Amino acid sequence: MRVLVTGATGFIGRNLCLELAEQGYNVVALCRDVNHQYLISHKNITPVKGDILDRPSLMAAMKGCQQVYHTAALAKMWCRDKNDYYSINVTGTRNVLELAMDLYISKVVYTSTCGVWGPTIKHPMTENDPRIDGFAIDYERTKYLAEIEARVYANKGLNVVTVNPSRVYGEGPITDSNSVGKMISGYLKGKWRIIPGKGTQVSNYAYLGDVIKGHIAAMEQGVPGNRYILGGEDISFNTFFDTLQNISGKNHGMIKLPQRIIEAYSRFEQVKTNLTGLPPVFLPEFAARLRKDQKYSSQKAITQLNYRITPFAEGMAKTINHINSL
Amino acid sequence: MKPLTAIVTGASEGLGKSIALELASRQIDLVLVSLPSSGLPELADYIRKNLGVKVTIFEGDLTSAEICKGLFDMLKSDEININILINNAGLGNWAWFGDMNIGFYKKQIELNVIAPVLLTHLFLAQVDEERTAYLLNVGSLAGRFVVPKKQVYGATKSFIGYFTRCLQLEMDRSNVSISLLSPGGINTKPELLVMNHNLKGIAKATITEPDRVAYEAIHGMFLGKKEIIPGGVNKLMVVLNAILPGFIKDMIIKSKLRPVVKL
Repeated sequence: MRVLVTGATGFIGRNLCLELAEQGYNVVALCRDVNHQYLISHKNITPVKGDILDRPSLMAAMKGCQQVYHTAALAKMWCRDKNDYYSINVTGTRNVLELAMDLYISKVVYTSTCGVWGPTIKHPMTENDPRIDGFAIDYERTKYLAEIEARVYANKGLNVVTVNPSRVYGEGPITDSNSVGKMISGYLKGKWRIIPGKGTQVSNYAYLGDVIKGHIAAMEQGVPGNRYILGGEDISFNTFFDTLQNISGKNHGMIKLPQRIIEAYSRFEQVKTNLTGLPPVFLPEFAARLRKDQKYSSQKAITQLNYRITPFAEGMAKTINHINSL
Repeated sequence: MKPLTAIVTGASEGLGKSIALELASRQIDLVLVSLPSSGLPELADYIRKNLGVKVTIFEGDLTSAEICKGLFDMLKSDEININILINNAGLGNWAWFGDMNIGFYKKQIELNVIAPVLLTHLFLAQVDEERTAYLLNVGSLAGRFVVPKKQVYGATKSFIGYFTRCLQLEMDRSNVSISLLSPGGINTKPELLVMNHNLKGIAKATITEPDRVAYEAIHGMFLGKKEIIPGGVNKLMVVLNAILPGFIKDMIIKSKLRPVVKL
């Protein structure tokens, strides 16, 4: 079977291509640069030059496919032109869904994010819970809007399932979109020495291998129009770095940076970025987020998609091995 | 002492949702009001589960006087006494006057003007005079400034400002504390706010986050503040508005409008 994967050079997309290719699918890997260093070469993967914002190229790539995985997105913390978030994440998704409808694609899996919920109060968020925070973060806002597009097309009759990975970590290239990977790699090199606040803030970490399997299970068994959280364990910064230290054997003295200093610094970074256009290290909307937990429940995917969570320590060990081998 | 109970209208999204969460985090029981199928049962479940307060929901369209009355009838039969009313539900717009139809403006005035007046009347009629009651009316900075493309919306918010200030005088000696909230733009429901990410400079600086506005609003309400203006830049705008002569303000507004003025 022929399947299209958009965002084939991305952290999730490239491993999804590989897993599908290994399973014998004929993978059309959509990418803007067919010579991209992160594109995986495999006999079952055909790189096709195209862009989700260039409809003719997208149409050419999608023609003849039965299934579409739409993983392409702008997932960085910051980019120079903020309008790029809207065009790539919302217009791009609309283009994929509209063409999928026109070309009678049998099923689409759309990769969203747990960021559409954002922070939590006490219990982990489930698919039915409302968002409780505003939309200061461009990535979260535009992914939320893209989910609305997916709902619109589901109502029009397109067979589309949304998956919501949490903070994904695992074996893959260290890029701006791979924020957990950057943190682990920084720690291993001795460059990352900071624990935000008291280190008690909890986030949900999803192992890449689980997320990839979750995507394929969503394609096979996902109920049309539904969404599924693909997460992992809820882990505090303290546990995160303790685990990292125990497994890597590297013991760096970590500095607990008070929340107020992080917030003041983030405001300075914002002024710097506004004046110079240089990329910021950190922005106030992300500093504010460190005050709140981000816990998510994968129970629905576990029940309906047979989703499995790799224990954090095991996933972390694999990730460290991978980063050490780079 | 028995916990306080608050009505929040327009509670399913945006500022209303943030105010509901802010009140619940202060262990205040809630009556959430919003349109049917706007996600109210899910929000109520979430708040009960995570914040442990009592939450009652009422789904209905407040542009109908019968529905406003129906809300208080339901509360009476359920023996729920209301100590706090947050008149938050409202309908905004950003369009040239001719571009929206008459049905829209009728609805906008019914929701932004008539509903808060009726609900305030019904609320005051049932307050327990032994305890301090709180009324928070959500106005807007648009009610203070003349903002083109917000002609009817701004006028409804001017009404809310007048209405609230007048009640403050009338009820000065009562046990009801009355506050006016005058926020600038708030970064709320993104599908309604396609504009915000394109804003620059001062316009961008006036945009505030809903949880911050909700905190300042409820904090100010319990302090008995007469008017609450969230955000430093917004406060500055109000001061400038008071000291600048009218013709200069007109010049500024017209120059800002030049690129978009309709011919």
